[in-house]
Amino acid sequence: MHALRSAAVLLAAFLLAGCGYNTLQRQDEQVAAAWSEVLNQYQRRADLVPNLVNVVKGAVAAEKEILDEVVEARARATSIQATPELINNPEAFQQWQVAQSELTSALSRLLVVVERYPDLKSISGFNDLMAQLEGTENRIAVARKRYIEAVQAYNVTVRSFPTNITARVFGHQVKPNFTVQDEAQISRPPTVDFGAGPEPQPAEPAG
Amino acid sequence: MVVRAAVRAIGAALCLLLLAPPLRAQLEIPPLRGPVTDLTATFTQEQVASLEQRLREFEAAEGAQIAVLFTPTTQPETIEQYSIRVAEQWRLGRKGVDDGVLLLVAKDDRAVRIEVGYGLEGALPDVIANRIIEQVIAPRFREGDYYGGVVAALERIMAIIEGEPLPETLRRPQERGAEDVGAALPVFLMLLFVVSGVLRRIFGTLGGAAFAGGAAGVLVWLLTSALGMAIGAAIIAFLFTVFSGAGGGRGWSSRRRGHHWGGLGGWRGGGGFGGRWGGGGGSFGGGGASGRW
Repeated sequence: MHALRSAAVLLAAFLLAGCGYNTLQRQDEQVAAAWSEVLNQYQRRADLVPNLVNVVKGAVAAEKEILDEVVEARARATSIQATPELINNPEAFQQWQVAQSELTSALSRLLVVVERYPDLKSISGFNDLMAQLEGTENRIAVARKRYIEAVQAYNVTVRSFPTNITARVFGHQVKPNFTVQDEAQISRPPTVDFGAGPEPQPAEPAG
Repeated sequence: MVVRAAVRAIGAALCLLLLAPPLRAQLEIPPLRGPVTDLTATFTQEQVASLEQRLREFEAAEGAQIAVLFTPTTQPETIEQYSIRVAEQWRLGRKGVDDGVLLLVAKDDRAVRIEVGYGLEGALPDVIANRIIEQVIAPRFREGDYYGGVVAALERIMAIIEGEPLPETLRRPQERGAEDVGAALPVFLMLLFVVSGVLRRIFGTLGGAAFAGGAAGVLVWLLTSALGMAIGAAIIAFLFTVFSGAGGGRGWSSRRRGHHWGGLGGWRGGGGFGGRWGGGGGSFGGGGASGRW
């Protein structure tokens, strides 16, 4: 009798593991870790922006508009509390993503403008700042890619049988992922429109 | 019959679909055979040998792994995208220390990137990597002096890493590909031991063994969704249940050792080093810098 009972307990534990409980926990944790890295790198970029603006301000004073835009976009992006819980709230996640991609697009426009001022290259620290900014953008791209992969694995587990039952029992829900299409739309440099309709552009994969 | 055939055909098609490479053709990553991989025939054999010797000595002394890859192009990807894929596959640097560096040159693209592992991002930040590219590599590459540029860049990188207090060089920890499974292995064996005894008592030796085998197979399949492993586990569980009832304590230890070979332990172990140079399991997060010449 005792043997039977312990066997039943063991079997239950086994079944739970078999239903993907451990997989779910592991993948959930991986998503959280990947997300932290994403936040970390976006924060790093937000920290760089004031330095960049300070350095280029003097040289490109004429481009006040774009500078203000960058500063405002940064303020908006950092005003959203970037917490680990963001990934469990699709709406907040969406808002945060839009704010960050606005900063991305404002920054890229600033960089285009900056190209027109070769004098900047001689300002001490400018090249270093650009290297840092590039490095950060690249880290963001890597962190996003890893987050996308982690969420993909997790969502597949949450949705597929039989692990979806386990997921429902323990309240695991599908997590939002980065929407590459929207990102491409927003981060596309503004097209100069001379009356003709907006040209359809090939959506480039935003990293 | 027709239905079954149709189902089978659809299944086969799906399998093919799953096995097919992703639609967007990406450049293949060359296997890591040594510290220097030259796909462009830029270097002479002596140059490669000399570079490799220097890098191997450096690794023996400092522990950090540096690799050089010359490729004609990284198209259709950017050099950053290709570089991180190479870094992820090669896994340069020690596991946990993450002290790997990849110097990637896309010769026809005239692009170069220094990819820095997590553990060296402090010693070799983007700014420094960028300076090495702009001041050391680009001027020499512009004159066609690829070897000189690479040597000078590597010397700079090595000098920087030498200044960094990294953990002592230990024997490189063995790569543990089957880590997840490995972690579950003791639990699995313990459960198997208990459960097999119980099952044997209930169903008799053969019945219990069949039951244990089936259950183990299904469980492993659900856990790992690798059919081969599931079958392996089923066979182990079956044999285990049969034989652990048969004898006394005498054969136990040898049998237990037998388990490790059986399914789980040997799985994915094939990628070992065997004297060949390979990555130590370091991670990269996109640190470093790129440039053109």
